[in-house]
Parts: sequence; structure tokens; C-alpha cells
Amino acid sequence: MDIYQIHNLDHFYGDKQVLSIDEISIPSATIVGIIGPNGSGKSTLMKLLSFMEAPTYGTILFMGKKADPFSNDVRFKVALLPQEPYLMHRTVFENVAYGLKIRKKTGRLFSRVKQALGQVGLESADFAKRKWYELSGGEAQRVALAARLILRPRVLLLDEPTSRVDAESAGLIRKASLEARQKWGTTLVVATHDWQWLYETCDRVLHLIHGRVLKSGLGCAVAGPWKIGGEEYLFKELEDGQELIVSKPTDDKQRVILDPGQMKITLPGKDSLLNWNLKTLNGVVTRLFLEMNGETVQVAIKVAELVLTIRLKRQQVTKLGMQPGSAVSISYDPQEIEWQ
Amino acid sequence: MEFIQQGFYQAYTLLKSGDPETYSAILATLRVSSLAMLVSLLLGIPFGYLLGYFNFRLKKQIRIIVDTLLSLPTVFIGLLVYALVARHGPLGEMGLLFTLTGIAIGQAILALPIVTALTAAAVEAADRNLRFTLLSLGANRRQLFFSTLWEVRHGILAAAVIATGRVLTEVGISLMVGGNIKWHTRTITTAITLETNKGEFGMGIALGVVLLLIALAVNISVAGLRRRI
Repeated sequence: MDIYQIHNLDHFYGDKQVLSIDEISIPSATIVGIIGPNGSGKSTLMKLLSFMEAPTYGTILFMGKKADPFSNDVRFKVALLPQEPYLMHRTVFENVAYGLKIRKKTGRLFSRVKQALGQVGLESADFAKRKWYELSGGEAQRVALAARLILRPRVLLLDEPTSRVDAESAGLIRKASLEARQKWGTTLVVATHDWQWLYETCDRVLHLIHGRVLKSGLGCAVAGPWKIGGEEYLFKELEDGQELIVSKPTDDKQRVILDPGQMKITLPGKDSLLNWNLKTLNGVVTRLFLEMNGETVQVAIKVAELVLTIRLKRQQVTKLGMQPGSAVSISYDPQEIEWQ
Repeated sequence: MEFIQQGFYQAYTLLKSGDPETYSAILATLRVSSLAMLVSLLLGIPFGYLLGYFNFRLKKQIRIIVDTLLSLPTVFIGLLVYALVARHGPLGEMGLLFTLTGIAIGQAILALPIVTALTAAAVEAADRNLRFTLLSLGANRRQLFFSTLWEVRHGILAAAVIATGRVLTEVGISLMVGGNIKWHTRTITTAITLETNKGEFGMGIALGVVLLLIALAVNISVAGLRRRI
């Protein structure tokens, strides 16, 4: 069963559109990763999924039903760990117990707090007595996670949970979150830049660029200045002298989205076999990451100042002999490049 | 400079000997200040909190008015309250002129904008992630409102301390509305004014030291409270 179903979602802050998603479904008890550069709309999507804000247009169904902010259908079922979690000016115990207290579930409170702190590796007896200002950044993040885990939510939304902590805390946060899925069937939605999170543990990864979900892999947005390259084309000169050729926009849009799903990877010199309408860019493979399914590989390719992450089948990677440092060609149809 | 030294010694002697005139002024000061602070906190905290917490039309204008009232001169408040409670004034029949209650009304008017403005500022300065955190833990609107109030408690305590300091040390209202009547409405500050006018600098300094000791006691109590909550 899908725990979330998003239909025709458009979200605005003032006049600025920050999200535009046609359809997404998130099955129950899965782990979904969201990756995208800063400002791509990850945190906004998290807030919408936590029902703290309602989308400007479109619907988000939770367990098949429409839900609103503050509604009891979601209030006690979805927990969000924000990017910069705030610890209330109280003791660790009070912070972790807060959610249960407002739910009036105060039975065995002490042992439940102890257990939740134990899940994030903070089980020492005196730790719960500490004040909020006596914690390191990593400890504060883990206490904030414990305050969510104690609620045993149906959905746990983690907004860049490991971006501000050391490797040890990051490992503990990852372990505790995965345990929640394993023990209670919690659905995890994780916005992160951590590749290990994304490709080793996530059942599915959403690639978000400027508020849009790309089809396959993580592309990038390219802003002008654009030069006129003919009646139908514009081009941008990249740092290494290559030209990114795109079709002219129909209106005054300034930015194109390079979607890896619309691109083909070949070895240099092999592109002549392809359609003559296609344009080519040359790049270098910088990173290869085998996904959890063992069948697909995320390939990061640097083209001058641009970085594209493309999902390829493992056999294709082997066939092309790809390894970090390999030169590759990327072919694309300028007509398919979308302006935004 | 000798009178300063003498003043400190005299302060010690007055307090130790239990001088009835000094203790009468101390008691009057404590009674009016407590009453004024009680009223200003009861009105100012809810008003300031609502002002800082909610967004509504005319909010900015009300904030500007409250902030302007922070600069109210005590003699002007004294004059205003005097005009209200004087025999021919609108509240003349209540017989509040030259009473401690009359002084407390004036001091509450002095403290109210301080408590209101600083409480509102404390709420507005609360971390923006506080709201998200409380919501993400399942708080409803009422829980969000009261949990936020609890989170800004240290800011509200600071507002109360500042207002208490202003109320304890004001002289204009006490002099104009209270009339500086010995054994009755003479507070520490009006007593200092009188002693200085008489050329009794040592006595004036002694009373000033007593006032500082009261302020110290208030601040130590609040610091203790802040640690506990």
C-alpha cells in the first residue's frame, strides 16, 4: 500500500515556484532517498510530507486520504527531523519525553526514554539529566532523533540528518533509523547528500532539481548567459570551451534542466553512429557507485563545470570499461532539453 | 568623598539598628513595587506574548506605540495619574491621591510597556526551528502556543527584572502621586531626594545602598529561579 500519493503538486513561496511534481507514490515501509543541490526543494518537500504546510496546488494523500496540517490523521503518525533540529530549553529527558507527554502516553516514561536514547547510542545513566546546552552538535542531533524514535511513527522524515555531525554520530543515526524500519515498519524518507545512505540503503532515490523530480539520475540546472547559435538554437560556452547547445525557449525562461534520463553515454568517437540531430559533450567519470539492487550503478560525470549523475546498468558500465578517470561522451537532443 | 564612606557605614548602622523610619521607607517601596509589578506582569505578559506570537493587521503600528511608551518620563506619568486621582479628577472619589495604591498605579503604567515590549521581542526572537520542532513532535495549536511560551520564559524573566529595576528606582511618580509623606508614602527614592535637599548626603547614600541591596536580592532570586527552570 502507498503511504503517500502526490498528484499534480505545485508549491509557491510568494511568486516563486519552489516545487512542481506531477506524480509520486511512496510505498509503506520503504526507504526513499531525496538528493538534490541546495535550494532544489528538498526541505520544502519534507515540510509538505510532514503536513506542516499545505501545498499551494495539488494533493498529497496519506494512506489514501487527504490530510491537512494539524489533523489527527497525520499529527501522531508522521515525525520530521528538521535540518537544524531545535532542542527545547529543558533537560534531555524532557526533550525526548515531550512527544509522549503531549500524547498523554506517560506510562513507563523513564524506561521508554532510556530505550530511545539507547537506540541512538546515548544510554549512559546521567545523560538524560543533561541540559540542552551541555550537548555537542552530534549528541543534540541524536537526542532530536531519539525524541522522534520514541513516538514509533509510521513515517520518519529525515532532512539531511548527517550533514552536521561527525562520522560516528552519522553511523549511529543511520543505524537507529534503519532499525525503526526493521522493527516497526516505519517508512523512511531521507533528504541527504550522503551517497552511502542513498545508494546502499534506499529502496528508491528521487533526484530533485529546482523543484522537479528528474527521471533517472541527478542532472543539473544551467543558467545563462546564452548566445545565439542560429535560428533555432542557443548555446552556452562552458569553462573548457565546449558548447552546450539547446533549442530556443518559447518564452523568457532563463535556465535549462539537464536530465540524465534524456542523455546517452558512449565512448568518445562512437557518437557518429548516433542520430545526426544529437549534440555531444565530452566528460570524465569521477565516481561509480553500485546501488543496493546490485544491478544498477550511479555514474558521476564531470563536463567542464557541470556534474551529472546518471544511472546505468552494471553490464553497460562493464561494456564501456568505465572507471574513475575514463573519458566518455554524452549525447543529447537539444529539442528535449527543458527550459525552466 | 568622605560622605560616601560615611554613607556606607550609616547604611550598615541603619539596617542593623532597625531604624523605624528607614524600615518604613523600605516597606513602602517593597509594597508599591510588588503591587505594580504584579499588575504589570499579569497584563503585560499575555499582551506581549499575543503581540509577538500572532500576526495580525495593525501589529506593526501597535508595536511602534508600545515601543514609544518605553520612553515615558516618570514625571509625565506622575502628572497623568495625579490628574486622574486628584479630588476633582475622574477617579477623585476613590481617594487614591497620596496613597501607596496611587503610586502603584503609576508604577504599573511605567512597567507595563517594558514587560509588553520585551515579552513580544522575546517571542519574535525565538528560534524559527522551535515551531517546526514542536509541530514535528505532534503538537496541536494549543500545545504549540503554551510550549512556545515556556521556551521563551528566560526572555520574559529578563523583561520582569528590567521592569522591576525601573519601578524600584523611579522617583517622579512616587513624589507627585505619593507626596512623600513620612511613615505613609515615603519610599526609598523620595527619602533620598529629601535627604539630599536637606544636605544629608550620608543618609541619602545610605538609603541608596539599601535600594541597591534590594535590587541585588531580586536579581539573585531571579538567577536562582532561572537555573531551576
